[in-house]
Amino acid sequence: MRFSIRSVLPGTSLALALAGAGFAAQAQETVQMGAVLSLTGANATVGEDVRRAVGLAVDKVNEQGGVLGKKFAVVIEDSGGNPTTALNAARKLVSVDKVPVVIGEYSSGITLPMAQYLVKEGVTHINIASTSVKIKDLGATAFNLIGLENLGNKFSAADTWALGYRKVAMIAPNNAYGQGVAHGFKEEFEKLGGQVVTEVLYTAGQSTYRRELQQMSRSNPDAYVYTAYGQESAVLNREAFELGLRKTPWYAILLSMSLSDTPAEIAKGQLGMEVGSVYGDAGKAYAAAFAAKYKEGMKTSYTGYAYDAVMMTAAAINKAKSTQPAAVQAALKDIGKGYVGVTGPITFDADRQRIDPPYAKLKYDGKVVPR
Amino acid sequence: MSDFLISSFTIAGIYALMALGLNLQAGWSGLLNFGHIAFAGLGAYATGIVIQAGGSGWTGALVGVGLAMALGWAVARLGRQLGSDYWGIATLAIAEILRTIATNEGWLTGGAQGISAIPSLFDGLPRPWNAVTFLGLVLAVVAVAALSLRRVANGRFGRALRLMREEPQLAACMGYDLKSLKTRALMAGAAVTALAGSLYAHYMSFAGPDYMVASETFLLWTMVMIGGMGNTAGVLVGVLLVQAAYSAVPFAKDWFGFGSDLAGALRLGLIGLILLACLLWRSEGLVPEKLRKIPA
Repeated sequence: MRFSIRSVLPGTSLALALAGAGFAAQAQETVQMGAVLSLTGANATVGEDVRRAVGLAVDKVNEQGGVLGKKFAVVIEDSGGNPTTALNAARKLVSVDKVPVVIGEYSSGITLPMAQYLVKEGVTHINIASTSVKIKDLGATAFNLIGLENLGNKFSAADTWALGYRKVAMIAPNNAYGQGVAHGFKEEFEKLGGQVVTEVLYTAGQSTYRRELQQMSRSNPDAYVYTAYGQESAVLNREAFELGLRKTPWYAILLSMSLSDTPAEIAKGQLGMEVGSVYGDAGKAYAAAFAAKYKEGMKTSYTGYAYDAVMMTAAAINKAKSTQPAAVQAALKDIGKGYVGVTGPITFDADRQRIDPPYAKLKYDGKVVPR
Repeated sequence: MSDFLISSFTIAGIYALMALGLNLQAGWSGLLNFGHIAFAGLGAYATGIVIQAGGSGWTGALVGVGLAMALGWAVARLGRQLGSDYWGIATLAIAEILRTIATNEGWLTGGAQGISAIPSLFDGLPRPWNAVTFLGLVLAVVAVAALSLRRVANGRFGRALRLMREEPQLAACMGYDLKSLKTRALMAGAAVTALAGSLYAHYMSFAGPDYMVASETFLLWTMVMIGGMGNTAGVLVGVLLVQAAYSAVPFAKDWFGFGSDLAGALRLGLIGLILLACLLWRSEGLVPEKLRKIPA
């Protein structure tokens, strides 16, 4: 075969050389854990926000003397918002950086395959942002800090009912997250006696959602209930505004995610709920430190969970006096018997799921504020 | 470390199979197929569904290849009235339709959650031999595919395809049945790609609608274009180069110490840059197709 070795060689040797470089970097005296975040793609805003929280937590741990007497670091990899890249990133973290714990990702469709791989490798996965109920069933080395959608749906259905809405039109993305929210909300809302008059699952990444919005408006609902990823919801909100649909109340499930890319004048007046963000004194101190370091507040509610996950991991490694995944997991279970995090008290049940994760009722008034 | 290299080469091998399939259609036959990833998706889903139903991986792969060939046949027939660019758009639409079906028919495909827990092959072997054996299997399949496709390309069928690409009227005058040529090229490319999809499902233990997004097709196009359309060795070079860039960026980030936010942008930028450079200076690709001149 006329297979010119000369042309294959540069690519391969580039990969090998850079891989070797990474290996050398790993040999430094640091204790590392891993994070896979969407730093590019539709959820880049969330990814960047969480990255900042991770940076803050790392600084804090190192101020307090690091881990096992060494410097602590989190190796952050980009998921690109796609499962293949995320899985490659996790593989790199596990097999090259040899981290005992990996946090992330954001969308459930990416988290599930990635976490399954981690569990298979015996590496700890801590879920900080995905809300699919399937997270519960990942297996022995998976931990969860955030409220999953069964609890979230119950909360948002009760909240919209209490606001006096009886007939709502609903729109959500057509993916694992959106399907779970749309169907779960409907079920809970109907239990209360409410009615979902239109249910639309939109295809992500469109340049316009006018057709979907017009379809919803035909049913004349009391309120529009929606959830959307930041950059898509910016389009949705702008077009709803242009079509005059904002005369009716808009209620966002996960308000801070939905409004992360929407301009203030369009977002103004929206109501919504969110997984609980910062809580109590620890939360206040965290929010102040975040604002001091990055000169602006948090854009989403996930940062606190990432911060807690990183701090708990550092504490677990210290407690285990080892970075062996099994020892770290045992220590993590022990710490999760009443840890005071910035998102509130954290206690794990027997399935390593957080008991009683917090939720918040919010509105948008220049920024996301409690209501 | 070696784990990661093995994994990178395995993924590269799987993409190489898909790119070889695309090259048969786009490179030799000049068919602008923008929905190529649908064939891989069929392979992945067939494997997942058959295994869930209690069948074996082999059956899954066979079903996937069969379905992909049927789709290839349908695609070739469907658009025979369309000009090549319109036909390209139609293939993009077909891939999107398949992805929409996969997202919505939850009873069959697991909906947006996809099908997880597909067993990976060779799990019975001790580590790292399971991964090495998988890589060996992938490389063997790539080698067989590359060699046989090269043989086909240099044979009568390959010459007919290239003639159809360059001078369709002449090919028709010479008695070639263009419709049949197109159909066979599409079906053969689809079969190779579905096999890759099946391997991919085993490797990732997962099949989901996110595998079938249009950007994956364009990733394959990028590989083929960078390497050299219509040249088997070129396609493999393109795949290796793009995969190397993808795998190297996280290490470059650790080594040069720049932020992880920049790394994401760099990954996209780097591929774009390589493609742009190729289009500007080597528009035929790094290893261009060798056209044989008939001695006068």
